[in-house]
Amino acid sequence: MSIRLLALIPVAAAISLALSAAVDAVALPLFLDTTGTILATALAGPGVGIATGVVTSAVNTLRNPTFWPFVVVQIIVALYAWAAARAGLFRSFRTAVPAGLGLGVIASVTSTPISYLVFGCTTTGGIALTTALGKALGLSPLGACFFGSFVSDFGDKAVTFALVTSVLHALPRRTAARFPWALRAIGAA
Amino acid sequence: MTGRRLHPFTLLAIAGALPALAWILPAPSGGTVTAAIGLTLAASRGLRRGLWPAVLTAAPFWVFLRLLHDVPTTIAIGLRITTMVASFVWLAATLAPDRLVEATVARGWSVTAAYLFAATITAVPTLRGRARRIVEAQRCRGLSPRGSLGNRLRALRALALPLVLSALHDVDERALALETRGMVSGARRTPLAPPADSAVERAARWALLAACVAALIWRLK
Repeated sequence: MSIRLLALIPVAAAISLALSAAVDAVALPLFLDTTGTILATALAGPGVGIATGVVTSAVNTLRNPTFWPFVVVQIIVALYAWAAARAGLFRSFRTAVPAGLGLGVIASVTSTPISYLVFGCTTTGGIALTTALGKALGLSPLGACFFGSFVSDFGDKAVTFALVTSVLHALPRRTAARFPWALRAIGAA
Repeated sequence: MTGRRLHPFTLLAIAGALPALAWILPAPSGGTVTAAIGLTLAASRGLRRGLWPAVLTAAPFWVFLRLLHDVPTTIAIGLRITTMVASFVWLAATLAPDRLVEATVARGWSVTAAYLFAATITAVPTLRGRARRIVEAQRCRGLSPRGSLGNRLRALRALALPLVLSALHDVDERALALETRGMVSGARRTPLAPPADSAVERAARWALLAACVAALIWRLK
């Protein structure tokens, strides 16, 4: 791995953890905690993306220990983002937002068993409340847990994909060309 | 004992073994013991840095568990989560990233993993500070982060984009700094102040691993 890609990993992980300040300012129910993983993958491929996801989870765990079991989700996000970058799905919002919605479904399917078995579906207040809503609607415990994860992940991943698309297109071509996957991800190579 | 003098690997072993035992041992007795140990360790770092953060982080889980489950399930999962939270709060308050880097270097392991961990920990407060400054600057320029969903999403883009782009521009600077410090893969580095690793601590780490394996075998029987 080149030094530049090594330097990218902590920066991308820190982006995921620092974006909460921007989210707080606009008061939207979003996490954006996979932004760095998706961005690193779109710029530098799956190895860098997976490493970014693992580091993000490890550092986030020191702030809130419940994040660590969800490291699997970060890895799946990186692999999905790699497939999206290979297909050039970051070329416009029209392709990126549906791809993000697809990731939302996959991420909620992946996180539901972890959330259900390890935490009894209480990972965050918002998810716990939507899970309670699912139970009140008559869903089974696992179904209610999936409902909670799905509501939180579906929009979040679409916004994250749109944000990464904005970043990739805003990068100067010379800067983008320094990363091996950036131009292919936006369909320019 | 606050744990500050313990070797970083011993701290990691304790923080990893306690939640593992909480999940493996039968509830609620196993979880009660591990949660008590975890909270005692967190309390050893003081009320403000240890016990309160652990209690305040764990408390919402108990509320939501009770909302979703019956009392026995709430107690069983709640004690496990409390153990996990308390042991990691203690770890975060005790483990110095630079000591962890020194320990991995002294062991001859790749310094890359330790660098990634330590560099991220140090980069997060820097980027958070930058994010706050961007929020203030954009507000001064008249950006309104309230109103309709579309308005908020546009505001989010205006706040997040400068943060991410400026962070990406830091990558070259960081790469240059790493190159000048000889950070290439496979290179052996000399630890300047390796943390002491006594035979007792090494034995304790193996004992913790053996305890987890033994508890798992006992539960699977």
